[in-house]
Amino acid sequence: MTAISTADDQDMVAGLTYPTKRDEGWRYAPHDVLRQLSFGPPAASTPPLPPALGAKIPALNGPRIVLLNGVVDPALSDFGALPAGLHLSTFVDARREQPELLASHLDNNVGLSADTFTALNIAFGQNGAVVHVASGHTIEVPVQIVDIALPDETGGASCSGVVIHLDDGASATVVETRIGGGDFGGSNTRTTITLGAQASLDHIVLQDVASTQVHLGHVDATQGAGSVLRAHLFNLGARYGRVGYDVCLAGEGARAELTGLYFGIGNQTLDQQVTVVHGAPDCTSRQSFRGILDDESTGVFNGGIDVRPGADGTDAEQSNDNLLLSDRAEANTQPRLEILADDVVCKHGATVGQLDSNALYYLRTRGIPEAEARRLLIGGFADQAVDTVDNEILRTWITERLRRHDA
Amino acid sequence: MSETLREIKELTDASYEYGFSTDLDTDIAPPGLTEDTVRLISAKKDEPEWLLAWRLKAFEAWKSMDEPDWAKLEIQPIDYQSLSYWAAPTQKPVLDSMDDVDPDIRDMFDKLGIPLHEQKMLSNVAVDAIVDSVSVTTTFKKTLAAAGVIFCSFSEAVQDHPDLVREHLGSVVPVRDNFFAALNSAVFSDGSFCYIPAGVRCPMELSTYFRINSQNTGQFERTLIIAEDDSHVSYLEGCTAPQRDENQLHAAVVELVAKDRSEIKYSTVQNWYPGDENGVGGIYNFVTKRGRAHTEAKISWTQVETGSAITWKYPSVILQGDRSVGEFYSVALSSKRQQADTGTKMIHIGADTTSSIISKGISAGHGQNTYRGLVKVLRSAKNARNYTQCDSLLLGSECGAHTIPYIEVKNPSAQVEHEASTSTVGEDQLYYCRQRGMTEEDAMSMIVNGFCREVFDELPMEFAVEAQRLLSVSLEGSVG
Amino acid sequence: MLHVESLTASIGGTPILNGLDLDIGSGEIHAIMGPNGSGKSTFAHALAGRDGYEIGGTVTLDGVDLLDLEPEARAAAGVFVGFQYPVEIPGVNNMYFLRTALNSVRRARGETEIGARDFLAVAQDAMDLVEMKQDFLHRAVNAGFSGGEKKRNEILQMAVMEPRLAVLDETDSGLDIDALRIVASGVNALRGPERSMIVITHYQRLLDYIKPDFVHVLVDGRIVESGDHTLALHLEDHGYADFVNHDLDDTPERPLSGAAR
Repeated sequence: MTAISTADDQDMVAGLTYPTKRDEGWRYAPHDVLRQLSFGPPAASTPPLPPALGAKIPALNGPRIVLLNGVVDPALSDFGALPAGLHLSTFVDARREQPELLASHLDNNVGLSADTFTALNIAFGQNGAVVHVASGHTIEVPVQIVDIALPDETGGASCSGVVIHLDDGASATVVETRIGGGDFGGSNTRTTITLGAQASLDHIVLQDVASTQVHLGHVDATQGAGSVLRAHLFNLGARYGRVGYDVCLAGEGARAELTGLYFGIGNQTLDQQVTVVHGAPDCTSRQSFRGILDDESTGVFNGGIDVRPGADGTDAEQSNDNLLLSDRAEANTQPRLEILADDVVCKHGATVGQLDSNALYYLRTRGIPEAEARRLLIGGFADQAVDTVDNEILRTWITERLRRHDA
Repeated sequence: MSETLREIKELTDASYEYGFSTDLDTDIAPPGLTEDTVRLISAKKDEPEWLLAWRLKAFEAWKSMDEPDWAKLEIQPIDYQSLSYWAAPTQKPVLDSMDDVDPDIRDMFDKLGIPLHEQKMLSNVAVDAIVDSVSVTTTFKKTLAAAGVIFCSFSEAVQDHPDLVREHLGSVVPVRDNFFAALNSAVFSDGSFCYIPAGVRCPMELSTYFRINSQNTGQFERTLIIAEDDSHVSYLEGCTAPQRDENQLHAAVVELVAKDRSEIKYSTVQNWYPGDENGVGGIYNFVTKRGRAHTEAKISWTQVETGSAITWKYPSVILQGDRSVGEFYSVALSSKRQQADTGTKMIHIGADTTSSIISKGISAGHGQNTYRGLVKVLRSAKNARNYTQCDSLLLGSECGAHTIPYIEVKNPSAQVEHEASTSTVGEDQLYYCRQRGMTEEDAMSMIVNGFCREVFDELPMEFAVEAQRLLSVSLEGSVG
Repeated sequence: MLHVESLTASIGGTPILNGLDLDIGSGEIHAIMGPNGSGKSTFAHALAGRDGYEIGGTVTLDGVDLLDLEPEARAAAGVFVGFQYPVEIPGVNNMYFLRTALNSVRRARGETEIGARDFLAVAQDAMDLVEMKQDFLHRAVNAGFSGGEKKRNEILQMAVMEPRLAVLDETDSGLDIDALRIVASGVNALRGPERSMIVITHYQRLLDYIKPDFVHVLVDGRIVESGDHTLALHLEDHGYADFVNHDLDDTPERPLSGAAR
């Protein structure tokens, strides 16, 4: 077992330990894999980006910021001609120009009381991207933030951050693509989203780091009155791919729609940890997560609806559906409800099953070979998540990526 | 809405009608728990050496274990050394004739509505009555014996059927299973034992009535039910306790062994003293209940939990044999300052095993109600099926409802479905009933009982009526 | 028998009924028609005593002031509302519900409660009236009922409760022609000299089956026109446009046509 941190100055992370199976939220994680990870400050230089990896980045027609091993790479980034109201910057610039945007993201006090990997991210994820949309502006082009984890001489996993801040009435689409290569390491990324009143954000995470790596992602969102968050997660890569969401509906009438798809093969463990807090009256939330698990893969969904006292008029729903495609695959689901207000409508549902044999039979009677029929049905199951993405380039990217999975 | 809230508050402030205590001459051990206490209990009961050894093994295990802290419960620390682990009415258990039962005990049970005179009994229910630690009487013994059914106190079973006890004790809930099970295994005082021979359908409902009477004593009873191949038994359990300002500890263990093609139906109506509206007093109820279902056997748990300050209880089924069936039906009510963390575990091991879970949680006053459940499908459990439905009803804005299911599936042919909902009694439902002439109180009681219908339907008739009444009493009371 | 004078109702300051006057004699059937949002259902709820409205004016039934009474006391006084959207009560057996309702009312009136056996006979007659099968009584109140079944259940309840005043709120909505016939013949069978009815409807269709003694047009929370059943036929041909426009925009040159005042 390696030390959790390679930093010379251990003050920031002193006392941090790896989580264990007894920690709620880490029950089903592959702890042996996690214990291989170590973290430290970014290395002085980064290896060059292999062309094959660069080709994985969806070719969206909009600005993009690329982070290589936790550091913004100006050569790979494209700030282009930004539309009015959109401000893109790095943490380095933002510290100088808009430090208030970084305040909550880099708040040490919050971080150290949180879990180990959040604390590590705060300690070492001192670089990242800031997306700021000014009040009332609608940004039509998608903003892409690419996080790439490549093994360097430190051998550690990278830490980076994304801050998305939409002022009142602003609207935008932000795509976070997380990729990586090599035989070890991985990435630890943390996103802080703040939505002003009536703001609207489409937030897409494509997690596709190498199947030898670990990805630990966490999204914190705080929503103002009447704001709308549409979060879409495609959790596909990594030996252990984990993405968490903590969404707080803090303003009256806010709405959050979270959709997720995880598709595991080989010995992958794909883990989603979601909590939506209803902290104000008349908010609406929807969680819909779908898992497809093949080979010896494991899927984890731990999703909570947390209705605070006084959050009357809450309307919350959650669903988690899992398809097990192999004898060795495993689905673990834990849909939680915590209700402390009485004027609420909350529902959740979870299912685990296999492909519908009747549907399979039906397709085969129509002359479709079994393998193709299975692909069709799996595709249909996945499409309900894929179809929530408006951008066609992204949809195509995801569909093609899934096809490689179920081939 | 405020109108309704006030109403609910009045409804839920109902008083506890079983809160009397009876003055019985009691043989009580001094407080404290050491190896000597365990030896004393075993000696008092004149137990064989193997059982003492078993108790001591449990005691050793318990000393090294910690109280579970994962439940959503706020519990005042329990000082295990301040409790007394042995309290028994001084009158020796009388086994053959009801006329020999201590008249005070008879009066107590009459007051509880559980007459022990056979001629007065509800038809076709045999009762084992347990006061504090000791079984005081078992009725209908002769009728049962004719069918070959053994139904007696646990102590008697140790003396009269040692082989059966030795074979099955701890076979479903091992001594190290959890903190409270280990404690129970070390110090259990008495309980019920039931044996249904192969092919026998038990001719009547069997019932155990638990009553905590003494002060500052823990109650640790142990129930063991063995259903041989192709047998059938329905078992009922009821509980009450006097109203006291101190919290009292109840840590029971129930083990069910359902052999091939047998069926055990276990129903509980738990109405221990819940404490007052300020959270003073009330029973701490930590219970481990588990059954093992062999091939094509069926185990069905039904519980109506309206009492206790703290309820920590997860009646479970190990679906070991192929085509075995597990069921869990539950109504749990938390009002005043009650906290309930309850649910079930269904462990699917055999092929084609089926389980269903229907849980209805009701929160009122400052009550906190948690459903916690585990559905686990192991790789061997081909074609396993589970259906779970958890509904919560919130009556008031100061209470809470929590649903925490764990679903772990390792076989692709399994089908597992979980549904849950949380709601409140609709204003429109109340209005509808009142337009038809019912008072708000009657309407509330009717709607809440309707919410629990699927569970009440699983109870034997007398218990269903009792459960419905209990629920109404817990919610009703002073209005009118 | 029913006397309504200057009845007003509002929700959160928004006025819905704006001074409604109506007198209904014993045994009479009055139809109230009006466009969507004119306050028809609010009128029914104002009579039944639903929470959430600020109510003004006077409503008496046989001289008893209804507005002071809780909903259940109004039911005991003889008010029955057949709802447009009958609510579902899962787990509560229909027969048990009905018997509890009937006995609650009887208790409130100081009458003896009806036993299970006698009740069954009463319920059976009511079931025959609305052509319902036996299993209907054993299902949960309205839970999983079709639209037509819910409405038939309302009429069944009315038959059992034997009200002094029955208010049927859009009982015809969502009914196919067979269900409409059953509901209407049930209502007609329950007509009597001691029972008055208010039939609230959007369409004239129902009034082909239930012949009203009087027809009133409700617009913006007020009765703007009253007449006999021919008024309904006129509305069928011309719609509510005359009345609505008259009330909404103040255009005096538009003729107020239709039934003679």
